[in-house]
Amino acid sequence: MSLDVLQLGLTKGEIESVRQGLGREPNEVEWSIIDAEWSEHSSYKSSKALLRLFPTKGKRVVLGPGYDAGVVDVGNGYVVTLHIESHNHPSAVDPYGGASTGIGGVLRDILSMGTRPVALVDILRFGRIDKSAHARWLFRNVVRGIADYGNCVGVPTVAGDIEFDESFERNCLVDVACVGLGRKSDLILGEAKTPGDVLVLIGGSTGRDGIRGATFASKNLSNKAEEDRSSVQVPDPFMKKLLIDSLIEAVGTKLIRGMKDLGGGGLSTALSEIASNGGTGVDVDLGHVRCREGDMSPTEIMISESQERMLLVLSPGGAEPILSILRKYDVPYSAIGRVTGDGNLTLKWKGKVVARLPAQLVVKAPLIPWPSKKPSAQEPRARRPLPTPDVGRSIISLLASPNITSKRWVYRQYDHEVGVRTVIKPGQADAALLRLPNGSLLAVKGDGNSAHSSLDPYNGAAGCVAEACRNVVSVGAEPIALVDHLQFGDPSDPEVYWSFGESIRGMADYCAAVELPVVGGKVSFYNEDSSTKLAIKPSPIALVVGLVRDEKHLVSMGFESEGDSVIVIGETRAELGGSEYHRLLGSLDRGVVPRPSPYTDGVLYKAVVDLIRSGAAKAVHDCAKGGLAVALAEMAVAGGRGARIDLRKVPGSEGRPAGILFSESHGRFVLATGDPKGASRLLSERGIAHAPVGEVKGEALRLDAGSKPMTVLDVTALKRSYEGSIGRLMD
Amino acid sequence: MRVAVVRFPGSNCDLDAVAAMRSIAGLSPELVWHESDKLGRYDAVVLPGGFSFGDYLRAGSIAARSPAMSTIRRMADRGTPILGVCNGFQILVEAGLLPGALLRNSSLKFVCDWVNLRVDSPRTPFTLLAQEGQVLRMPIAHGEGRYYAADDEMRALERGRRIVFRYSDEYGKAVAGSNPTGASRNVAGISNEQGNVVGLMPHPERACDPLFSPSGSVDGRLIFASLLEGAT
Amino acid sequence: MNVVISNKEGARDPEGETILRDLVHRSGFGDVKAIRAGKSLRVEVEGADERAAEALVRKMCDELRIYNPAAHSLHVEAGRLTG
Repeated sequence: MSLDVLQLGLTKGEIESVRQGLGREPNEVEWSIIDAEWSEHSSYKSSKALLRLFPTKGKRVVLGPGYDAGVVDVGNGYVVTLHIESHNHPSAVDPYGGASTGIGGVLRDILSMGTRPVALVDILRFGRIDKSAHARWLFRNVVRGIADYGNCVGVPTVAGDIEFDESFERNCLVDVACVGLGRKSDLILGEAKTPGDVLVLIGGSTGRDGIRGATFASKNLSNKAEEDRSSVQVPDPFMKKLLIDSLIEAVGTKLIRGMKDLGGGGLSTALSEIASNGGTGVDVDLGHVRCREGDMSPTEIMISESQERMLLVLSPGGAEPILSILRKYDVPYSAIGRVTGDGNLTLKWKGKVVARLPAQLVVKAPLIPWPSKKPSAQEPRARRPLPTPDVGRSIISLLASPNITSKRWVYRQYDHEVGVRTVIKPGQADAALLRLPNGSLLAVKGDGNSAHSSLDPYNGAAGCVAEACRNVVSVGAEPIALVDHLQFGDPSDPEVYWSFGESIRGMADYCAAVELPVVGGKVSFYNEDSSTKLAIKPSPIALVVGLVRDEKHLVSMGFESEGDSVIVIGETRAELGGSEYHRLLGSLDRGVVPRPSPYTDGVLYKAVVDLIRSGAAKAVHDCAKGGLAVALAEMAVAGGRGARIDLRKVPGSEGRPAGILFSESHGRFVLATGDPKGASRLLSERGIAHAPVGEVKGEALRLDAGSKPMTVLDVTALKRSYEGSIGRLMD
Repeated sequence: MRVAVVRFPGSNCDLDAVAAMRSIAGLSPELVWHESDKLGRYDAVVLPGGFSFGDYLRAGSIAARSPAMSTIRRMADRGTPILGVCNGFQILVEAGLLPGALLRNSSLKFVCDWVNLRVDSPRTPFTLLAQEGQVLRMPIAHGEGRYYAADDEMRALERGRRIVFRYSDEYGKAVAGSNPTGASRNVAGISNEQGNVVGLMPHPERACDPLFSPSGSVDGRLIFASLLEGAT
Repeated sequence: MNVVISNKEGARDPEGETILRDLVHRSGFGDVKAIRAGKSLRVEVEGADERAAEALVRKMCDELRIYNPAAHSLHVEAGRLTG
């Protein structure tokens, strides 16, 4: 039979490998199953080898990568689950549907572990909303999609990170992460261990939507994409809410033996993975799958990606209590087959066997050793002289620039309070903070910096981790786990693959040095436009969670008390490569990218957390995009008070005013404290570079260089610039 | 005092309402499934926020036809205190227990933010502990909360002192700038003629613990604690 | 011109399904077999004939992304001005 008819995404080598592994020619149904599971999106064939570099063990890690979600112990028998998903390709074509179903997907993974989803984080990248109507269209509808879905299912979106850059014009990035909460004793895995157990497919019906969704995500976007009809999926948050409520109730019965969500690759992936994970096989009659349309073929049923479906593994005797809970919530279900001991994925249709494949063969796509080549432009660039900035004007412009400005226009559309767990809400501080049932608090933040990563993938990726850690540390939390998301262009391009490898190395080295385990993550390739050949800037993302022991010393982010001392912690170096300041000047390709300090950051984070615990800190804010200048301005806006700062006192080797103000060196915090001696003593004991640079004072931010005044900016002017900028562009 | 918190398919803030009321001594809140036949035995009813039936067709329109609503109608006639919060308010309006309609916010966007509410009628079972004109602070989170009623209906509400809460600034002035959704006359909550059925768009259950209130407000407790005041 | 935008044929329509299942069928209207939800726009076009008006409205919906062809189907037909 001609394989062209099937439009498989497999390479010649992969096709041969299947024939050899199976010992015969697969039929159409079997080819489609393998095609779905061997797609990049499902199999990680281009990335698995490198992903092994990540450190994944830690005293709080219950389950690391390889499961539907990472699991972290947070004390008293409670665990937190973490997962991150992207829906880049569907969102580029149907931003509303793509973003909503992205949320649907990440919720399902958390739910399939037996934990309740309690928070969402969105990390988004778009083109220039100040220039492009298309970028604005994508942005507006992605946000609306996330809002409509998250709000409807009652899971608060508590934090996010949004970047705007030309390279994301056609290939927007929509990453959504979810945090789940549950008891360790209630955890459920995606495995079918006991032959004889029953397989029950629950939730939405199976239709022709989303067919080849996994392979769609594994190709570059082309002009035909707009009509790639069946590849988009329809969200149904109401059904998802019913699934959440019914399954949380069902988990309590302890009768669910295994649970897997149906995502990329649909039934193909779900069935082959539960069998392979359990060391068993499955025998399924496709005629028992509830289909939306009457004339679906077995292949279509197996690769459909219709939303809101879960697969349950139940013992025959323990099924009825679960089914009765499903009936109460009106969640449709059908028993589709049984677990066997023969290791095969056996599918029946109208009385005949239409596919029989060893589950292990289906899930083990051969890894692809792509070649990698360092681009010549990566050789270190010489430092060029920085133009003397109009400091005041630059700060005002940076505060209004989309990458830095207030994102209130976005988060005001998200219900960030439902569940009454959100102690620190979006916009209030550097990370979200959620109260856990045992009295501890969980901090969550996700970060990335594509400008840094495109100039220096190793340090750019390590830097995302550093930035996310700083953000959770700023609210007093000790970082305990990370999930990553790596988003790149076409892996067959050696320069792209090189930057991918470097990003992994950067993150892995940093995490190992600060002892932060990676408990899960995702890789998304092919984020480039095949007509313009424009690839996205490399976009690694790090999502970090941290723990605060108790609520006694919660800090804010603003300059609130007149007379408080302002201390800068950490050293400022000449590292303006990829900075927002350079973006403002139009010279984004210049300069040295900030390099984090993995061997001393661990001590730094512990010191800042201890400082906050000691009660000596009134406000803490980290330095990131826009550097120290923006951090100070943001603290003035947050607290409503100004400050007087002497730039000559800022610690570090950078001497130029523009450098001190706008360098984006890592490992820096700004502290406002009523006890500068106590704070300084603690920091000195730990060997942390720091210096008092001024005090909270008056109604303007006044920056001097020694005795020479540089600029005075009214807090009202700063506020005006920082607030409303996105609303003005979008409404 | 036994309070039923009715859960419909899609309700989201039911557990929050139960937790908030549990923290007030004297209240025994219980989650009651909308098809339960035990609803009639409770001393008070709360219809919580959320997206019952996905808010499909119109928010609250499908839940309004639930069997629970005929029981609630009978309880309302008997004078039982009934509180509809957000989606609960939408359901009461769709079921005809309260007049008017809740339309899409004028910004066409969902809004999640903290607002000031002026208490204009302290005579309802949910506002007995408040003073007339007192300003409370609570969050809203909705996309279809713009209250609308025809002119004659509005006049009847005003005459009957049935506008219970109005969006206001921190000093209690019901100005346009303090109205997040374009609701008619800044209406945030109303009551029925008898005064025992109250619907409001803001979420009192989210303002009962200072840890979760940016300003430390626990004004939500006032709404629930008033129930006990009326019972004695 | 009457414009109706709904989810593509063959794609799910959770809103229509829920209205059918939880409202219409529960209330006894068993003869109703299917409901599809959509958004309706009434567009008044000045000038020439119906065919030109329909072409204009389709072009408008395409260019201004009033509907998204990746997810929706578009139905345009001439309607009456009153009623």
